[in-house]
Amino acid sequence: MSLYGLMAVFAGPEALIAAARGMRERGYRRMDAFSPFPMKDLEGILEIPKTRLPWAVLAGGIAGAALVYALIWYSVEVDYPINVGGRPLHSWPPFVIIAFEAGILGAAFAGFLGVLAANGLPRYHHPVFNAESFSYARGGKFYLLIETADPKYRKGVTRGQLTRLGAEMVEEVEA
Amino acid sequence: MAEASANSPAVLRGRHDFPEISGRIGSIVLGGRLPRHFWTAFLLCFLLVLLLLYSITYLIAVGVGGLGINMPVVWGTMISNFVWWIGIGHAGTLISAVLLLLRQPWRASINRFAEAMTLFAVAMAGLFPILHLGRPWFFYWLLPLPNVHMHWPQWRSPLVWDFAAIATYATVSLLFWYMGLLPDLAVLRDRARSRPAQLFYGILALGWRGSAYHWARYQVVYFLLAALATPLVVSVHSIVSLDFTFAITPGYHSTIFPPYFVAGALLSGFAMVLTIAIPLRWAFSVKDLITLRHMDNAAKLMIAAGMVVAYGYLSEAFFAWYSGEPYERTMMAQRALGPYAPLFWIMLSLNCGVLQLLWFRRIRRNMPLLFAIAVAINVGMWIERYIIVVTGPSRDYLPSAWGEQSLAWLDFGILFGSIGTFFALVFLFIRILPAITIFEVEELAEEEGKIR
Repeated sequence: MSLYGLMAVFAGPEALIAAARGMRERGYRRMDAFSPFPMKDLEGILEIPKTRLPWAVLAGGIAGAALVYALIWYSVEVDYPINVGGRPLHSWPPFVIIAFEAGILGAAFAGFLGVLAANGLPRYHHPVFNAESFSYARGGKFYLLIETADPKYRKGVTRGQLTRLGAEMVEEVEA
Repeated sequence: MAEASANSPAVLRGRHDFPEISGRIGSIVLGGRLPRHFWTAFLLCFLLVLLLLYSITYLIAVGVGGLGINMPVVWGTMISNFVWWIGIGHAGTLISAVLLLLRQPWRASINRFAEAMTLFAVAMAGLFPILHLGRPWFFYWLLPLPNVHMHWPQWRSPLVWDFAAIATYATVSLLFWYMGLLPDLAVLRDRARSRPAQLFYGILALGWRGSAYHWARYQVVYFLLAALATPLVVSVHSIVSLDFTFAITPGYHSTIFPPYFVAGALLSGFAMVLTIAIPLRWAFSVKDLITLRHMDNAAKLMIAAGMVVAYGYLSEAFFAWYSGEPYERTMMAQRALGPYAPLFWIMLSLNCGVLQLLWFRRIRRNMPLLFAIAVAINVGMWIERYIIVVTGPSRDYLPSAWGEQSLAWLDFGILFGSIGTFFALVFLFIRILPAITIFEVEELAEEEGKIR
């Protein structure tokens, strides 16, 4: 079995942040942190790129509204035009209401499916689940993972650094 | 902002640690041992579910003539139930989305069940327009589906807008709710001891592992969904009100309706939040997670929404008089003095009278009393919907066409059946999914320094 990385367990959020910052300063790049709730500070430390998902949400909204508006336009102008007392076929104000709802629906789907796709979920298995210590069962453990793919990774050295940064336990994670 | 003012109770009481928070919330679901009164209450609700099924079967077999509706008042309890239930759903979205955008810390422990309440209320609401169709099995004609009739929906009809709005609202609420559930499902997956529970929560958790990269995207999109849900919730009830205002019937044809309906929705919705939360925090001893602060704030929002509703009543009456239209004036006079007058005055005394008790802090913090007020407001708001629906058509333009409708057993069978089904779903939800958001309470405890 090949090794995926080293998983360090920390008792609290501050310890995880301090350790992530410490490892970052030592030049590690291929790291990931796991926490039971979102921690804003980690984004800066791990240099997580700003997500482009808001654009996907915007595109989904525009697509939803445009598609539905086009459908309505097609039905009243092309497929089934009915002249009612000479009133305009393309009476847009009521159509905007349905297009608005469709826009919200499209944006929500784009956001929900987008975040799953970007995160690679649903996923049946991931190497971190091989770590014995990795579990949210007790609610509050904080994990830092250093991948073996990191150029700075040296098994003994990395383990020592993690321990010195306050890890309760350091575990090897199989791929 | 998280700091409570000197005399207002804290959002979280006491000191906690992470295993304790996740353990207490998770064990309600995984422990499998719920108090006996939980199942007794569920049994009562289940009897009402059976009543609903029987009533719907009867309605479909016999037709809408089984209801109390009659010419000229052909909109009855089906429509008022619909408006009432949709309104109840709106408070859930307001708590989960608007309070998230405003970064109100008191949202964290009540948003989950408020969102569940939204979903179930919308599910109930969706039944009624379909049952009201008379031939419910043709409801899909409202959708632009390719069909042999070669017809399209009437895009200019508020009923079609309504269909679009409700369908969108139900779907977006479901996505928002499920997204909020993901991290908690992962907690349950890891806590679960039995194989079926591990499989169930494991599949639902979609492999969530709490990576910092995932959380970063998750938070951005969760906020965006909240930002989308906010205009949606306003649009939905406004569109519901357009079902009425687009008709020229006296009493329906009023521009105050959209904001007045939205405010009414919030009033009845917060009343329902309290109706569920007060027994919930008592039965599962989570009084330190859902604190008096939550109850107090919900009561304050009720009074704010209630005052807007009262303004709506005033404005309706004023413009009926100011329009100079004899039909509008007659309708309004008949509403207050005619055959539906008792209901009208009960509505006013509940929604405008009883509501004023909430100005007093001592009453807001007295749980049995607050619960009673919340139930009274729920009743009052149902009566308001009913009054709006029936008084207009009953006093139409021609006195020769005036008439009333009655209420048959079927009206009550479906109304109480839907209430029972709603609560049965809430009970099942509490049994199966974490009713309090684990990860947000942990985050809140961390931010507020309430970690041991």
